[in-house]
Amino acid sequence: MADDKAIETYLKGLRRALRTLPEGDRDEIAAEIRAHLDHRAREGRLQEAMKALGSPEKCARGFLEEIKIQDAFADGGPTKTVGALLALASRRATAAAGLFVSGVFFLIAVGFAITAAVEVVAPDKAGLWVGREAGVYVFGTYDAPTPPDAPPAPGAPAPPAPPQELLGRWLLPVAAGLSVLTFIIGQWLARMFVRLMARRKPGGAI
Amino acid sequence: MDLDAWKSQLRKGAAELAVLGLLSGEARSGIGLLDALARLPEIGLSDGSIYPLLNRLEREGRIRGQWETPKGGGRGQKLYALTPEGRAALKSMRAAWRGFRDELSSIAGD
Repeated sequence: MADDKAIETYLKGLRRALRTLPEGDRDEIAAEIRAHLDHRAREGRLQEAMKALGSPEKCARGFLEEIKIQDAFADGGPTKTVGALLALASRRATAAAGLFVSGVFFLIAVGFAITAAVEVVAPDKAGLWVGREAGVYVFGTYDAPTPPDAPPAPGAPAPPAPPQELLGRWLLPVAAGLSVLTFIIGQWLARMFVRLMARRKPGGAI
Repeated sequence: MDLDAWKSQLRKGAAELAVLGLLSGEARSGIGLLDALARLPEIGLSDGSIYPLLNRLEREGRIRGQWETPKGGGRGQKLYALTPEGRAALKSMRAAWRGFRDELSSIAGD
């Protein structure tokens, strides 16, 4: 009796998770999973079987993804194909988020590397600049305007003071170090998201 | 090296061939397939992935499922058998697999 109740509860959850499918498909899947669980219950292995199938939502996800893959490859017109691919992509939001976050860090690493390279070839154009008046900090390259040859005419507004560079000869090691650091962080984040995505079972089972 | 992740990728490609191969001899239920696969742990097909795979293969027309009711009554089970399309797919996949296995063995060793 307890087994019957557990099976009914599982199937109810499964049907709810499959609600986007036509009723006939939902019935067919539920009937097959019921047959599987009934068989294992008769063997006294119901709990083990439920654990192996995963939660009803996880079990349903397996069916939905297979159906979406089939739709994506089937000749159902561009809308259906793109819709199926988007649905798959939305299930892989972790991948999109990981790509974005680690990508930002990789781009920052490239920015620091470029700054370090510019410091070698044109030291006067790279640095940690601070605007004298606005107090704005800029780390990177800056093409400082050359001061006018002639002094400003009397009564003319004074030209804005050029920004000041703060790091001097420390710029190269700081930029190179920050480039390596942000690259390592980007790589670590990418690996973390890949691990989240893998959701694999012990022994690499699928 | 993350061997589990690599094995998981390897198995994803092989799962369909494994199921079609097991059904080539006789019709089997999902339970029958899982019990046969339990003796082949390296294939690595789990309970949670076999039913979605059977569902897709049936939709694609490679296998046909038929509900069988036990003679003594009670709930039945769905038995799957290869369709002619499934047999043709299996034949092509076997040939591709043999070529792949031979070439990979020649460079990676047996």
